Amino acid sequence: MAKNRVNGFEFVCSSEGIDEYKMTSNDLTILLMEDHSAPVATFMVTYHVGSRNEATGHTGATHLLEHLMFKGSRNFNKETGTAIWTELQNIGAQINATTWNDRTNYFEVVPSEHLEKAIAIEADRMRFAFLKDEDRQPEMTVVRNEYERGENSPFDVLDKNIWATAYQAHPYHHSTIGWRSDIENVSTKRLQEFYNTYYWPNNATATIIGDFDKEQALVLIKKYFEEHSASDHKVPDMYTEEPKQEGPRRTVVSRAGQAGVVGIGHKTPEGLSEETYAFQLLSKILSEGKTSRFNKSIIDKGLATSIFMYDFPFRDNGMFITYAFLTPNTEHKTVENIILGEYKSIIEDGVSEEELSRAKAQTRATVAFSRDGSYAAASALNEAIAIGKWTFYTTFVDRIENVSTDDIKEIANKYLVSDQSTTGWFVPQKEGVE
Amino acid sequence: MGFFKDQVQTKEPVPGFTSYVMSTSVKDVITFAGSFVGGTVFSPAGNQKIASLTAAMLDKGTKSKDKYVISDMLESAGAELSFSSTRHHVQFAGHCLKNDLETVIKLLGEQLQTPAFPGKELKILKTRLIGNLERTKEDTKKQALIGFLRNLYPENHPNHRLTTDKAIDQILGTGMKDISTFHQKIYGPGNLNFAIVGDVISDKVNDLIYEVFHGWDEKNIKLETNGLNAFPVEKKEEQIHIPDKTSADMYLGQSVGIDRDHEDYYPLMMAIYILGGNFSARLMQNVRDKQGLTYGIGSSIGGVSFGNDGYWSTWGTFAPDLLDAGKEATMEQVSDWYNNGATLQELENKKTTLTGSFKVGMDSTGGLTAKILSNAEKNRSVEYLDQYPEIIRGITLKQVNNAIKHYIDPKKLTLVIAGTIDKASWT
Repeated sequence: MAKNRVNGFEFVCSSEGIDEYKMTSNDLTILLMEDHSAPVATFMVTYHVGSRNEATGHTGATHLLEHLMFKGSRNFNKETGTAIWTELQNIGAQINATTWNDRTNYFEVVPSEHLEKAIAIEADRMRFAFLKDEDRQPEMTVVRNEYERGENSPFDVLDKNIWATAYQAHPYHHSTIGWRSDIENVSTKRLQEFYNTYYWPNNATATIIGDFDKEQALVLIKKYFEEHSASDHKVPDMYTEEPKQEGPRRTVVSRAGQAGVVGIGHKTPEGLSEETYAFQLLSKILSEGKTSRFNKSIIDKGLATSIFMYDFPFRDNGMFITYAFLTPNTEHKTVENIILGEYKSIIEDGVSEEELSRAKAQTRATVAFSRDGSYAAASALNEAIAIGKWTFYTTFVDRIENVSTDDIKEIANKYLVSDQSTTGWFVPQKEGVE
Repeated sequence: MGFFKDQVQTKEPVPGFTSYVMSTSVKDVITFAGSFVGGTVFSPAGNQKIASLTAAMLDKGTKSKDKYVISDMLESAGAELSFSSTRHHVQFAGHCLKNDLETVIKLLGEQLQTPAFPGKELKILKTRLIGNLERTKEDTKKQALIGFLRNLYPENHPNHRLTTDKAIDQILGTGMKDISTFHQKIYGPGNLNFAIVGDVISDKVNDLIYEVFHGWDEKNIKLETNGLNAFPVEKKEEQIHIPDKTSADMYLGQSVGIDRDHEDYYPLMMAIYILGGNFSARLMQNVRDKQGLTYGIGSSIGGVSFGNDGYWSTWGTFAPDLLDAGKEATMEQVSDWYNNGATLQELENKKTTLTGSFKVGMDSTGGLTAKILSNAEKNRSVEYLDQYPEIIRGITLKQVNNAIKHYIDPKKLTLVIAGTIDKASWT
């Protein structure tokens, strides 16, 4: 079915109001969803490169490169008085970029009459970013301060340690911000190589959501992106696989602090696995709302101030982690045993139909609210693009409806086992505020 | 004619309870938020925490439903409902799907009007809140802000902040009687504002409000300033040592002596925005982008609502060994801004930034709800929201530069830094 009348695009498919096109000259993927609720539109370019594409010596390079992408490009730069931040913030745009394991995304939320400017800027920096060494020097210390701010948080440090302990070969071993010495020493040349390897239209998805007209949008995308050819090389695959874990692992972080944290992680399958949907519901059953299991067994007993579950689907294998932020005088072991006890109960007895039904209702509402506003929708869609299939976002609710209590018991038995676990404690050494 | 005037329907379905209903084309989704006067400034003398504990106890059960029954009703619908206390207001907020609105509003009414305040829940709540507060002792940003505001304002001024230990003591000293008395005295319509946006119909919402809230005793608590002003502006410095931190937080600024209704508020706000309101403002452009000394630095005006004399603050983070350079670079920008003022180009750029970002803020039901409620809390008509872009466009360069000279004194700044600081090198 030809859904467009603009030459140069091939209509690919449609799902829940989102249309996918391919730019025939360079294989750029385009996703369009009109929503005229507010006079606002979000433009986003997602590159299929993240910290999973890094190795020792250049961990954090994807993120550092993302910072340098704001330093100027052929048509938008300080020298000509058209710096990216200034151009976009002067029209009231909300702009930023983020980097994570599997992707890097650049986005602009703009008053809809300014959509063209956002498209022009992203097209220009896709292939014409300056990436100068004189810009990397001051930006390195900026990024290092971002790293240092993260290191201030005991939770952030514990989380890095749990991932580094659980994943030894696979690059999910290191966090997206990278190791400090790599941030300090990676060369500009290495960053340019990274850019020239991954920043191509055939390795990117451009998304527009909000108050715009589809045909006009395609005309604008053609106007600005058509000058880019597809890469003349195959974008390299990341082929490292994590060897099978053969026993439980533990890690402890101990330094000045006020209250303990317990984290228990278990490896999970890749994000596009059918089993992901059961994990998403299980985390709600365990931790979302006052009726959740951990709220009753930990929070309502005054043992922790809060519980946080980390269960994001990634392109490769992930982690199902429960974090408990302990109240003063609570022993780490006490809470660890309760968490493992709940897992054991699910392994042996499963979950009730009532729990599952509630978790599905919570999910339906979460998904509905993920469409409240063009940026919210783009942000949710971005994570689906990252794991390799944007329709993961649009079909999520339907797939959730198919999950049964047996499915949840099955994944618990398969994955929430001691041999696949990594447990981390933050143990504070008290010194206090002077 | 105006976006908000045309789309927001205002009504008083119950005396002292004003609704602001905005129907948008979003499908199924509804967001709401409301508030009434009764925040921490209304806590009995000597214990600010009574107000916040009262709000935090609202979701622990009502006279006819325990907390699990309430939670089950909300969670089964995927709805959310929360309560909190600000300096001046009791606030509630929630979202739900269209078909669940009646259930959620009825629960809201029950929780506000007939809370059970069970004793064992207070004990657990206090343990958790104290745990959270203990954890903030290692938070460099929070400790720097507390120190900064304590240096600017005397005890009992709404902009003053308790030390973390004092806050813990007040939580420990709060009993159930304090909470039920506060609830009885403060909670009720009178100046209650309720904003609701999304897939809603005004008449249905107002009928529901009448059904749920009519008969709730009107309280009509008035917002009045307590006559306390900021300390006289003078140069002060304080260091707060927190061990094992790789980044320090810095607050720099002073009180400005005016509130949001003062004629100089918008020119001064604009002046401060030009200094550090966003990434393309002077501080981020120079201290971060050019010199690479920080991940983040910004400047804003705060504490100006409801008749309070507010303050200007600049906040930034620095590695301990770049702290001196960061402070110096920040002061260079402040001095240049003070001595030479803003330029016409900067003013024009920031006008389009603020009017454009106002529009971008309408992107979601949450953004619209927040704008409508915040405006109503200030006793402003809905039309004011439509006038806001014109107010911004009307600010002149002369007003901006006069405001800098009149309200800022760079020789009398308060500087507070929290982190792992080498005291020997402190200058």
